[in-house]
Amino acid sequence: MFKDFFLFELKLRFKSVSTYIFFLLAALIPFFSIAARDFGPIGSGKVFLNSPFAVLLITTQVVAFGSILIAAIFGPAILRDFHGDTYQLIFTKPISKFGYLVGRWAGSMVTAIFVFSGIVFGIALGTLMPWADKLRIAPNDFGMYLRIYASIGIVQIFFLGSLFFCVAALTRNIVVVYLQGVALFAFYLIELVVVVVSNKLERAWASIIDPFGLIMVQSLTRYWTVVERNVVVPHWTGVFLYNRLVWLAAGALALLAAYALFPMSAEVLGSRRSTKKAEEAKADKDSVEHEPRRVRANLPQVAQIFGGATTWKQLLSMTRMRFFNIVREIPFWAITLIMLVFVLISGHFAGNNNGVEVWPVTFLMVSVVSGQSGLFLYIIGVLYAGEVIWRERDVRFEQIHDSLPLPDWTDFVSKFLALAMVETVLASVVLVCGVLSQAISGFFRFEMGHYAKEIYLVYLPQLLMVILLALFLQTVLGNKFLAHALVVGFFISIPTLYAWGIENRLYLYGEITPYTYSDMNGYGHFVKALFWVTAYWICVGGLLGVLAIAFARRGTEQSFGARWKQAGPRMRRLIAAAAAFLLLAGTCGAVFFYNTHVANQFRTAQQNRHRTADYEKLYKKYERLPQPKVTDVDVAVDIFPERRSFAGTGHYMLVNHTDKPINEVHITDSREAVQEVKFNRESKQTLADKDHFYSIYKLDKPLEPNETMKMDFRVGYASRGFKDGNERAEFAYNGTFFDRDYFPTIGYSQNVEIDDPVRRREEQLPPLEEMAPPGDPYYSNINLFTTDSEWVTFHAVVSTSPDQIAIAPGYLKREWTENGRRYFDYSMGDTRINDFFSFLSGRFSVKTDQWKNVKLEIYYQPGHEFNLDKMMDASKTGLDYYEKNFSKYQFDQFRVLEFPRYRQFAQSFPNTVPYSEDIGFIERMKKPDDIDLLYFVTAHELAHQWWGHQLIGSQTQGSNMMSESLAEYSALTVMSKKYGEDMLRKDLRYELDRYLRGRAGETRHEPPLVLVQREPYVWYQKGALVMFALADYIGEDKVNLALRKFLEKNRYATGPFPDTRGFVAALRAETPLELQYVITDMFESIVLYENRAVSATYVETPDKKYKVTLNASSQKKKSDGSGNETPMTIHDLIDVGVFSGTKEHLKRLNLHKEWITQETGTFEFVVDEKPTFAGIDPYNKLIDRDPADNLIEVEKP
Amino acid sequence: MLSIRNLAKTYAGGVRALRGVSLDIPPGMFGLIGPNGAGKSTLMKILATLLDPDTGTATLDGLDLIANKDATRRLLGYLPQEFGVYPKMSAVDMLNHLAVMKGITKGGERKEVVEGLLQQTNLWDVRKKALGGYSGGMKQRFGIAQALLANPKLIIVDEPTAGLDPAERNRFLNLLSSIGRNVVVILSTHIVADVRELCSRMAIISSGELILEGVPAQAIEAVKGRVWSKVVPTDSEREEIEKALPMISMHRVGGLNEVRVYSETSLGEGFLPVEADLEDVYFRQLSQHRPN
Repeated sequence: MFKDFFLFELKLRFKSVSTYIFFLLAALIPFFSIAARDFGPIGSGKVFLNSPFAVLLITTQVVAFGSILIAAIFGPAILRDFHGDTYQLIFTKPISKFGYLVGRWAGSMVTAIFVFSGIVFGIALGTLMPWADKLRIAPNDFGMYLRIYASIGIVQIFFLGSLFFCVAALTRNIVVVYLQGVALFAFYLIELVVVVVSNKLERAWASIIDPFGLIMVQSLTRYWTVVERNVVVPHWTGVFLYNRLVWLAAGALALLAAYALFPMSAEVLGSRRSTKKAEEAKADKDSVEHEPRRVRANLPQVAQIFGGATTWKQLLSMTRMRFFNIVREIPFWAITLIMLVFVLISGHFAGNNNGVEVWPVTFLMVSVVSGQSGLFLYIIGVLYAGEVIWRERDVRFEQIHDSLPLPDWTDFVSKFLALAMVETVLASVVLVCGVLSQAISGFFRFEMGHYAKEIYLVYLPQLLMVILLALFLQTVLGNKFLAHALVVGFFISIPTLYAWGIENRLYLYGEITPYTYSDMNGYGHFVKALFWVTAYWICVGGLLGVLAIAFARRGTEQSFGARWKQAGPRMRRLIAAAAAFLLLAGTCGAVFFYNTHVANQFRTAQQNRHRTADYEKLYKKYERLPQPKVTDVDVAVDIFPERRSFAGTGHYMLVNHTDKPINEVHITDSREAVQEVKFNRESKQTLADKDHFYSIYKLDKPLEPNETMKMDFRVGYASRGFKDGNERAEFAYNGTFFDRDYFPTIGYSQNVEIDDPVRRREEQLPPLEEMAPPGDPYYSNINLFTTDSEWVTFHAVVSTSPDQIAIAPGYLKREWTENGRRYFDYSMGDTRINDFFSFLSGRFSVKTDQWKNVKLEIYYQPGHEFNLDKMMDASKTGLDYYEKNFSKYQFDQFRVLEFPRYRQFAQSFPNTVPYSEDIGFIERMKKPDDIDLLYFVTAHELAHQWWGHQLIGSQTQGSNMMSESLAEYSALTVMSKKYGEDMLRKDLRYELDRYLRGRAGETRHEPPLVLVQREPYVWYQKGALVMFALADYIGEDKVNLALRKFLEKNRYATGPFPDTRGFVAALRAETPLELQYVITDMFESIVLYENRAVSATYVETPDKKYKVTLNASSQKKKSDGSGNETPMTIHDLIDVGVFSGTKEHLKRLNLHKEWITQETGTFEFVVDEKPTFAGIDPYNKLIDRDPADNLIEVEKP
Repeated sequence: MLSIRNLAKTYAGGVRALRGVSLDIPPGMFGLIGPNGAGKSTLMKILATLLDPDTGTATLDGLDLIANKDATRRLLGYLPQEFGVYPKMSAVDMLNHLAVMKGITKGGERKEVVEGLLQQTNLWDVRKKALGGYSGGMKQRFGIAQALLANPKLIIVDEPTAGLDPAERNRFLNLLSSIGRNVVVILSTHIVADVRELCSRMAIISSGELILEGVPAQAIEAVKGRVWSKVVPTDSEREEIEKALPMISMHRVGGLNEVRVYSETSLGEGFLPVEADLEDVYFRQLSQHRPN
C-alpha cells in the first residue's frame, strides 16, 4: 500500500512540468551567483565563489526563500484530494493510513529533494560558464556541495515539508499552509531585527531557534577568515548541531502529529463541508418558512439614470464592494496582523543604531516602519491585484457582471481604487504604528507633516506603481499565477539590473531616485528629482492601466486574439486618456532626462570606475615626479547654499624642497572643481584632461630648489537641476560641508585609485600597490595625510547667505555683511596646520563654553539639543586628560559642527570637527551602561588634534595606527574615566567583534597592527584592543609616558616623518623584559588566543568562605594575512578570576594574572562571597575567536 | 419586438454553435428549447452582449443590440445558466450595488425596488446573510432578483428553474409571467412544460439551427391525433418498433416501456391514440432533424 501511494505520487510529480520548473528556479540563483558578476552573496576578495562558505550561504538562502516551493510541493500532496472532493472516493475505500500519509509524504520528500538539488546543478553549471570569473572559482567539489546540501537543504526540506504537510493534512486549507510559511518567515524577521540589526553579541540562542538557518549560518561564519571560508565545511557540532537537531525534531513531531491526528474517514474529513451544508439548509429553511408577507403583483417602476453622476456612483459602489471583498478575507487579516507585529517590534528597535541607542526621531522611525512594512504591503498589493482582476471569474459571477451597463474603464478603475484604498488604509496604520512606537519609547516630538510626506507622497506612490504593473500583467496574461510569477521576476530583476550597471531610472519601472531626509535639510534638493520621477512612473503606470482597460476581459471570449480585436475599438474610446498619460509621462520623462542627462552628465557607477581607472593608468607614472609643496593657503570662498554651489579664488605658496629644478606642475582635480590655475611666472598649460581629472602646466622658468612661487586658482562647483542619484552630499540648502578635495591637489593622488580587488581586475589594473615599508627612503619624506603639502599657514574669507553661519578652520578675525551676504574672515595666524581644511555653512544655533583659555563651540541644528552638555564635557575632559598626559593643545578653540546625515562620520580638521547629525546628536542613553558613542566620538576627534594634527607619520605601512589607534585609545581612556571600567570592557567586546568580522571580510590580506595599510578594522578595533591590553599589562601611566616621549620627539616633524619602528621602540622602552612578547605578538604579529573555561566548582570552607576550582585551557596561534594559523607555544600572563553577579554585571571577587605555560591548567581561589562565574581572560582583553566560552558558571560539585 | 436575423457564430475551436438563426420575438414570454449544445446559450450570450456573432443582427425596437452594447446592457435583465456569487457579500448589499450599476441612483427608489425583489423572491429573511452560505435554490432566487432589477425591457433567463423545488418554481414562473407581459422575456429551458404553461410563443433550436417557431398551442394542434402510444414489456419489442416506425419518445412506466410514435393514420396492434402535448412536438421535431 505504501509503495503504491509512494510510486503514484512520484509518477504524478515527475510527469508534472512544475517539478522541472521548480528545479530550474532552485538552480537559477546559484547559477547566477557563480556565473554573473555582482550577483551572489560573496563580495569582493579572495573567497572562492564556489567555496564551502559560498555554497553554504547560497544553499541556506535558496532553501529559505524557496520555502514557498516546499509548501507548493507538500501542501497539494494532501490537499489535492480535497480540492475536487475526490476524498469521498478515496476514504471510502479500505486504504491504510500509513500507506496513504507516508506514501504521499515520502513522494513529496523525494520530489523536493530533487527540486532543490537544482542548487548543486546550478552551482556546477555556473562554474563552467566561459564568462565566469575563473580566478575566483575553485574546482568543483561535489562531495562538499552534497554534504552541505544534505545538512542544510535536506534537513530544511524535512522540517518545513513535514510542517507544511502536517498543517495541510490537519486543516485541509492551502491558505493556512501559506500563512504558516509567512508566520515562520515573520518569526525569522523578528529575530533578525532583535538580534542582528541591533548587533547583539550573544547569538547562540537566536542561532539555535532560527527556523531557516540564516541567522545560524551568519553567526557561525562571521569570524571566518578567507582560508576558513575556502576550506571549512561546518560540522554537526555546537550551535550548528543544536539548530539542526531542534528542527529535525520539530519536523518529526509534525509528522507524528499529522499521523496521529489525521482522520481516515470521509465522514469526518467532510465534516467541515457538512457544517457548511447544514448552514445552508438552515438559511434555506429560514427563507422558506416565512412566506412573503406582502406579495406585490408588480415591481415598482424605477427611473434608470445614466450619465456622469451615475458613472461616478457606479465607480464608488464598485470600489466599495471590491474594497470590502478584500478586507473581509482571512489571508488579508493574517498578513496584516503579522505585519503589525513585525512593524511594532521593528519600531521598538528604531532607536537602536547598530547597538547604539538614539532617540527614535521621525526620520528614523518612518524609515523603519515603512521599510519593514514594505514587504507585506507589496505582498498584499500584488496578491490582491490577482484576486481583484480574477474575482468575477473565480466566483463565476462574470456573466452577470460583464453585462452590467458600465463603461469599460469603470471596472478596471474600481479595481485599482479598491487596492489603492486598501494600501492607503494600511499605510496609515503603519504611520500610526510609527507614532505609537515613538510614544512607547518615550519620545513625544511627533512630526506628523514629515510622516505624511514620507508615507503618502513617497511610500504609497511606489506601492501604487507596482499595483498598476501587477494589474496590467494580470489583465493581459491569461493566468493568475503566471502573472504573479512575472511580478516576482520583476522584483528580482530590478536589483539585478542595477548590479549589471543599468542604473538609468528612466528605464527601471517604478524606481525612484534615492533620497535621504535630514533634520537639517529636510527633503531638500531631493524633492525635485523625487517629484518628477514619481510623476513619470505614475503616468507610465497610468498608461499601463489604460492598456489594461483595452485588453480587459469582458464577455465570454477569453482568447488573446479575440481580446486583441476588441482592444482596437476600446482603445479609440480611451485615446484621450492614453494620450494624456503618454503626454504627461513624456513631459515628466523629458524633464527628468533634461536634468539627469543634459544639465548633468549621466554616468553609471561602472563608467565612473572607468574614468578613475584611466586616471591611474594614464598618470600613475607621474607619482614620484618631483613636485613643489604647498606652504601657505589663502582663499576666498563664496557659498550659495540655496543654489547648492560655491565659488572660490585663492592662492597657494609653493616651494621646491627637492634638489632638482621643477619644470612642470601637475594638478589632480578629483572633484572637477578647479577652473583656472595661474602662477606668478610665465607658464603654459600642456595637458588639460578634464575627463581624467588631470592637467599639467609647464613653467617657462623652472622652480629652482628652495625657491617659492605663488599659484593662483579659481575653483567652484555649481549644481544644475538634479541628478539621477549620486547627488553631491557636500552641498545642501542647509548644511554645506566640503573640504580640500575641491581645491587643486599638486601631483598624482593615490587617494583616487580604486581599491576593491575585483573592480581592479575588471578594469585590468594590477593589484593595488602595497604601501612602502617603514623606513622607505622616498616615502619617509612624504606625510601620510597630504602628499602635496607641508605644514601650512591658513587664511580664508568665507561668505554665505545672510541667515547662515559659514565656518572654516582658524580664528574668526572679523564678521560683516556686504551686498546682502554674510562674511567671515578666519585666520590661523602664524600657527601652522596640517593642510586639511573644510568649509561649512548652515543655519546653526551655537553653544559656547570655555576650558582654560580654549573657546569651545558647538554649532548645531536647533532641535538637536539632546547631548550638547555631554559633548562639552567630553571636550573638556579630553582636553584635560590629553594635555596632562601627552602635550599642550596647540589651538585656542575647539569647534564641533553638525552636518546633514548624507554622510555618517565625524572628521577632525584643525580645531574644527564636522560631525554628522546621524552619529551622536540624537544619541540617547537608555541604561546607565549603554555605550556613550557621542562622548567617545567627541573625545576621539579631539584626540586627533594630537594624533594627526601634531603627530603625522610618514606615508608608510603602519603609520595610520599612530593616528587612529592612538585616537581610539585616548578616547576610550577618557570615556572610562567618566563611565568606569565596565563600560570600557563592554565597548572593547564590541571592538573585538568588529575586529573579528573585519578580518573575516578582508579582501586583500590582514597586516599586523604596526604594518597596517588600508584596513580600518585593524587601525580602529585591533588598535584599541591591543593598546588596552598593553595598558593592562604595563599600566596606563607607562603607556602614556611612552606616547608622551614619542610625541615630544616627533611632533610637527617636517620630514623624514616618524614611522611605527620608532613607535614600537618607544613602547618597548617602557615595557619590562618579560612582557616584551606582548608587543611582538600584538603589535607586530597576528596572534589569536583560544582561552576556554572548561569547568568551575566551589566548596564552602568552614570559615564561611568559598573555595573555587577552575579548569581552563589556553591555546595560542599565529595567523598569516589570509588566516592560515600555526600553533605557538604558550608562555603568557593571562587573567584568571572569580565573580559574583550576573553575566552582564560581573562583580569581581578575585581577578589576577597568572603565567600560563601549559594548554590546560587548574586554578584555585578562595573568596568571601558566593561565586557565580569564573573564567580565564574573562574580560576578553586578549584576541579570542570564541570570546563567549572564557567564562563559566561556578557549580557545586 | 426583438428581431434576430441570420445570427451565426463559430467558436475558435471550429464548433459551429449558430448557423444563421432568424427569429422575431414579440413582447411576452418566449420559450427557447433545445437539447444541450443546440446553441441556446450561445444565442443568449450574444443577446446579453457577452459574445460577438460572426454575422447577423439583433435589434430590439430598432436598437442594434450587437453594435450598441452599452445601451443594450441598460435594458437587459440577465440570468445566466451557471453563476456564482461573492461569498462575503449579503443579498441586500449586493442587490443595492447591482441596482446602482443598473442606473437606479435614487436612493428611495433603489431601496424600494431592492426590498420588493427580496420579498418577491422570498429572500427577505436572509437578506443580511452572506451569499456564500446560500443553498443552490436560494442562489437561484437571488439570480432571479438581480435579473429583474430596473424594469428590464429584455429579460434573458437561461435554465432559471433548475435547482428550484416545485413550489419555488411556481412562484418564480408566476413572477416572471407577471412581469413578462410588456417586455421581451426569453426563457431558455429544457423543461418543455415550463414553455407550455407560460410562453405565448416558442422556438426549438437544434445544432445551431432553428427548427420550429410558433405558438405552442398551434404546434400541438399540428400533431393532434397523430400521436400513438403503446406499452411494450421488452426491450426487443421496443427496438422493433423503433426500427419500423417514426418514434417520438419512450418512457418507462412501472417497469414497462411506453413508446410514442407519430403516425397520420391509426396503427392498430395495441397502439392507442393519445392527447398530444408540447413534449411530443419537441421530440418529433428533434427526431426529424437528427443529423444522420
